[in-house]
Amino acid sequence: MSDNVAIVIVSHSRDVAKGAADMVHQMVGEEVRVAYAGGTEDGGLGTDVAAIMAAIETVWTEKGVAVLVDLGGAETNSEMAIEMLPDGKGEKVQILDAPVVEGAVMAATEAAGGSSLAEVRATAEDFGS
Amino acid sequence: MTDPITHDAADWVAGDAVILDPTGLHARPAVKLTKLAKTFAAAVEVRADGDERWVNAKSPNSVMKMKAAHGVPLHIRANGDDAADAVAALVALVERNFDV
Amino acid sequence: MTTEPSEVASGDALVTALIGAVHDTILAHRDELCDLDRAIGDADHGHNMARGFEAVAAASDEIAALPFGKALQKIGTTLVMKVGGASGPLYGSALMAAGKAGEDAPTSLVEVVARLEAAVDAVKQRGKSDVGAKTMLDVLVPVTEALKAGPADPLATARGTAAEALEATRPMVATKGRAAFLGERSAGHLDPGARSSELIIDAVCDVVEGR
Repeated sequence: MSDNVAIVIVSHSRDVAKGAADMVHQMVGEEVRVAYAGGTEDGGLGTDVAAIMAAIETVWTEKGVAVLVDLGGAETNSEMAIEMLPDGKGEKVQILDAPVVEGAVMAATEAAGGSSLAEVRATAEDFGS
Repeated sequence: MTDPITHDAADWVAGDAVILDPTGLHARPAVKLTKLAKTFAAAVEVRADGDERWVNAKSPNSVMKMKAAHGVPLHIRANGDDAADAVAALVALVERNFDV
Repeated sequence: MTTEPSEVASGDALVTALIGAVHDTILAHRDELCDLDRAIGDADHGHNMARGFEAVAAASDEIAALPFGKALQKIGTTLVMKVGGASGPLYGSALMAAGKAGEDAPTSLVEVVARLEAAVDAVKQRGKSDVGAKTMLDVLVPVTEALKAGPADPLATARGTAAEALEATRPMVATKGRAAFLGERSAGHLDPGARSSELIIDAVCDVVEGR
């Protein structure tokens, strides 16, 4: 596994999060690690700090992790999760201001070439503008 | 990223390939093209026949925005040490219809 | 930190009593909180809060053994991990910030207000919100302000202000959280987060009064 910036997808819906992650896998391939967190413990709509932390930890790399979020609470909970990561890992994790699906694909495409987290962020955030 | 304006026109290696996919250069092929372009050190640019501007082939955003249609010749050019390899690889990718 | 045994014991007892009282009131109002949330949200605020405070109560002995500030922080992180939804991080951030404001249990109203202000700031920052958006801040902020003025009867002031502030959320139009999607239709209902905040303030007042 090459050390590329990893992607985490956070949605209120588990199906949306998983679907976006699947799409990134199929379109971009295996060289970018993707994890997702979506839905609540009981299968409802929502986001969960513990699940987001676990997703970030799964793919965490020194190179950085780009997090794509959908609506309000997903961002709040992702910020909380990043702050609560141990060992200062959160410093290498950023929430991107881009739509979940498109942003994840663009971010992963940029990441696949070995780009830095700042470059990944710029590509995802410029999309559509 | 190398700025193409600084290059002499004579330094570019060029090639062409026709887009075979019935829906044109859509998202998945665009991702494949940029990923492949990024593997080369050379500056790589693409332009759909009829378009005026060359776009950076390593920029997913720019390539996706081209919306090059089915049957349109795609012009590819590269500038740098591995420019010839880059053009050959990209032409081959388009000719293989992006391995879909 | 004092090493005087009776002091430590009273710190322990305070945290245990606070956890017990808040846990009890949240469980007793679980359905009501869900009903309020059903009107303007997704009907799970009562369940989420109950799940969080059940986890806190289960760890009560362990938490009570910590210094007061650390105990509040531990309650905060437990809520973040267990409550889910938006209220977990909001209540969690509030308690974590309040806990960081000092190691020892507050011995004066001024110290209580300092912790409340830290909590309010954390909620504002976490929720990117402020008063008037029909949230828990619409109870927490007025109560903090009223106590800051140094009232003669702080407990009565806290309870009275919380009750009035809660009622004031009824006509408000939500601009934050899921209720914001309802726009004008969110008016006419109490905010569930404001209600849970008011319940917690009441429970804390009961504990302080009974000491």
